Amino acid sequence: MNQIILEAKNISKSFGKTQALKNVDFYLNKAQIHGLLGENGAGKSSLMNILSGIYQPETGSIYIEGKKIKKLNPDLAARFGIGMVHQEFRLINNFSIKDNLTLSRSNIYRDNFEEAFEKYSDIFSLSAESKTLINELSVGEKQKIEIMKLIFNNNNIMLLDEPTAVLTPQETNQLKISLKKLSSEDNKTIVLITHKLKEIQEFTESIFVLKDGVMVAKDLKTQNVTKNDLVTLMMGEIKISKVRKDNVKGNNKLEVKNIFFENNHSNVPTLENISLTVQSGEVLGIAGVSGNGQVELANIISGIEREYKGKVIVNGKNISNQGVRARKNLNLSYIPENRLGVGLAPGVSIIDNSAVKDYFKSRLGPHLSSNKMLDYLNLLIKQFSIKAPDPKAEVSTLSGGNMQKLLMGRELISNPEVIIAAQPTRGLDVSAVEALHELIIKQRDKGAAVMLVSEDLDELFKLSDRIIVLYEGQIVREFKIDEADIESVGLAMAGSIE
Amino acid sequence: MNKYLISKKIVTNDLSTFYSFLIGLSVGITIGSIILLVQGQNPIEVFSLMLRLSVGSIKSISSSLNKATPLILAGLGISIINSVKLWNIGAEGQIFMGGIALNFMYISYEISNSKLSIILLLLSAFIGGSICILLPAAAKVLFGVNEIITTLLFNYIIIGFTVYLVNGPWKDPNSLNFPAATYVGKEVYLPTIFGRLSYGFIICILCTAGVYYLKEKSVFGYELRISGGSALTAIYAGINAKQKAFIAMLIGGGLAGLAGGVELLSQTHRVSTGLSQGFGYTAIIVAAITGMRPLGIFLVGSLFGALTIGGTVIQTMGVSSYIADVIQATTLFGALISQFFFTYKIMKVSEDV
Repeated sequence: MNQIILEAKNISKSFGKTQALKNVDFYLNKAQIHGLLGENGAGKSSLMNILSGIYQPETGSIYIEGKKIKKLNPDLAARFGIGMVHQEFRLINNFSIKDNLTLSRSNIYRDNFEEAFEKYSDIFSLSAESKTLINELSVGEKQKIEIMKLIFNNNNIMLLDEPTAVLTPQETNQLKISLKKLSSEDNKTIVLITHKLKEIQEFTESIFVLKDGVMVAKDLKTQNVTKNDLVTLMMGEIKISKVRKDNVKGNNKLEVKNIFFENNHSNVPTLENISLTVQSGEVLGIAGVSGNGQVELANIISGIEREYKGKVIVNGKNISNQGVRARKNLNLSYIPENRLGVGLAPGVSIIDNSAVKDYFKSRLGPHLSSNKMLDYLNLLIKQFSIKAPDPKAEVSTLSGGNMQKLLMGRELISNPEVIIAAQPTRGLDVSAVEALHELIIKQRDKGAAVMLVSEDLDELFKLSDRIIVLYEGQIVREFKIDEADIESVGLAMAGSIE
Repeated sequence: MNKYLISKKIVTNDLSTFYSFLIGLSVGITIGSIILLVQGQNPIEVFSLMLRLSVGSIKSISSSLNKATPLILAGLGISIINSVKLWNIGAEGQIFMGGIALNFMYISYEISNSKLSIILLLLSAFIGGSICILLPAAAKVLFGVNEIITTLLFNYIIIGFTVYLVNGPWKDPNSLNFPAATYVGKEVYLPTIFGRLSYGFIICILCTAGVYYLKEKSVFGYELRISGGSALTAIYAGINAKQKAFIAMLIGGGLAGLAGGVELLSQTHRVSTGLSQGFGYTAIIVAAITGMRPLGIFLVGSLFGALTIGGTVIQTMGVSSYIADVIQATTLFGALISQFFFTYKIMKVSEDV
């Protein structure tokens, strides 16, 4: 039998009103690689943060090698050999590799550093020298140093939060080999958090699945489960509340032809040969786990990102070389994923934020009249039932739902021709979601072409006429809504196409 | 476990800046009084004398307003730049550079029409201020260099340059070895409206109105606000945030340069190291106290001008003129602290998040 090195029983944790984890049981077998699978927001990171002592659970207890730990804190967790690699690197950029690896006082290779560094460089096939500064390394190399740091700190339980998100396929493959060596030769116990099915099947021996804070599957032996099983577990049964889709469709309003785009900040090519069309009166759903090129595609269509190859055509007019303002004048609206920070400027008043879309148009000018701006804001408040007590207060004082209503109202009140909506309902409560869905459908019925980017399959199936799946910057599948089923969309999102 | 959380108030009070200024002023006067008491002076006597000598007569009022003029102009410049959430600490250097550029124009070109000449000279002072902030502005938008450091350091460069000019090429041979440039001719002195009040104050009123329009009513001001709030939102809205920030910095520097030009043509009449008496730094206090509001800068600038005049004249009583500086600084301190309580509330939360 496997020896259980760490066990968490009956763990619950909530943040404010949302319960992130509900009576979760979790355990790790010594020297195995475990996969922790789940959608965004399923509670994976919360669970890992509890195991590494960063969060305190409300209920439940944690046992390490059979011993009950009363109150786990980061210091204690480190002493028991639990280490975590976070999604954002926690390396000191202007320190050398050696300094970063030996920084912690729990470092065990103080005297024979070079020897150990050589050994693990070999395992990770890292070619950099130990005196190289971190900021001279590539993203993939930094990731390797992060994992090596755990080894140098004598962490025998290694929690890796989405380690492959920033890696190329070759680097991912390399990581797989390294991790297998670590578990078989060094007896490391590893947890890999991911939502890519291919990786979970190739990397791990045992799989746990979290769904909405509940552990729906425990210690599944990887060789015994199929991808379809995993998708069903991860996504659950989706109650599709469909809306009428028999409205009149018209001409192609948005055409995107052969878009290629390379992201300068990462070595993963972000978009490869993307072509799509959206008709008037149609909602095209873009499915995909975030970070697969959706933001880039939306930015290209809206004119924010200009360094790309390919064509963007609105109403038959090629606008590939035009800027944001010219595209706005063609009545193209963009509801960005990041509502506070991109769609709305934090630290600026509600009234100023309400005019972002067309402050330069004559309706408000030539001198921005505060009365006209206020009238406009009041119109938005009335039409979209926004709760905003003080127009001069900073926009960040609004609740998430009201912020999104303000943003969507501002972008939709002009009855746009083309609407790009990215994650329009993420993080909002049910009633706000319902209201925002109605807004989108209303615009569709008025003849707008809607491109809806979402990770929420429930939302995509409810609103879309067609669904396209983006995976690593490519369109991997396209479905008509009648022919689509949750399982095949889910598989495609996780990078698995038969 | 109870924790305390600081969060923004949902409803803001329009007059909160004004109230916090009043609170700050009373803090300033209280601390000033304590210092006077410790020195064995009667604060009421000292303050009433200050009041009488700074606003008690037409003559003293006009002196106070003349003193206020450079504070207000430089403060307006700081306020425009702060629309994009950038800080101009270099108004002092820009004031000197304004004076230097004006003097350069004056000795290089001769214009017979004195009115036209004054306008052109003031224009060159404005441009001088802009040139002074050009490098920090370019470094900011091109490379993201912190403008607080660069504008501050430029003060030392420009003051050094001034020392060089008034000891070297521009030194007035008739100044009995006092390091100062030659006086400008009487024909380009700014005329007075009444008493000693120079036309510089009219320029000041016009600029206040202009900056108010630019910040609050113009599309440009709106673009500055959005760019200052979030560069990403600016890009999303189709605003060239860097270009707007650059232009705002040039205008702001120019206004401080204009302050130097007005001061030269109305008060000192020559370039010397005494052209500015820390106006550029006091202007930061004025702008900060008022929450960068143009009208507020005008009013508080006027008050600070009066304080400075009051501080100068009470020296005859054996009281140090620094009492005015103490009041100005502690007013800022009190006002900023009370602004915090007007914009934030402290909440007790029972659960840690």
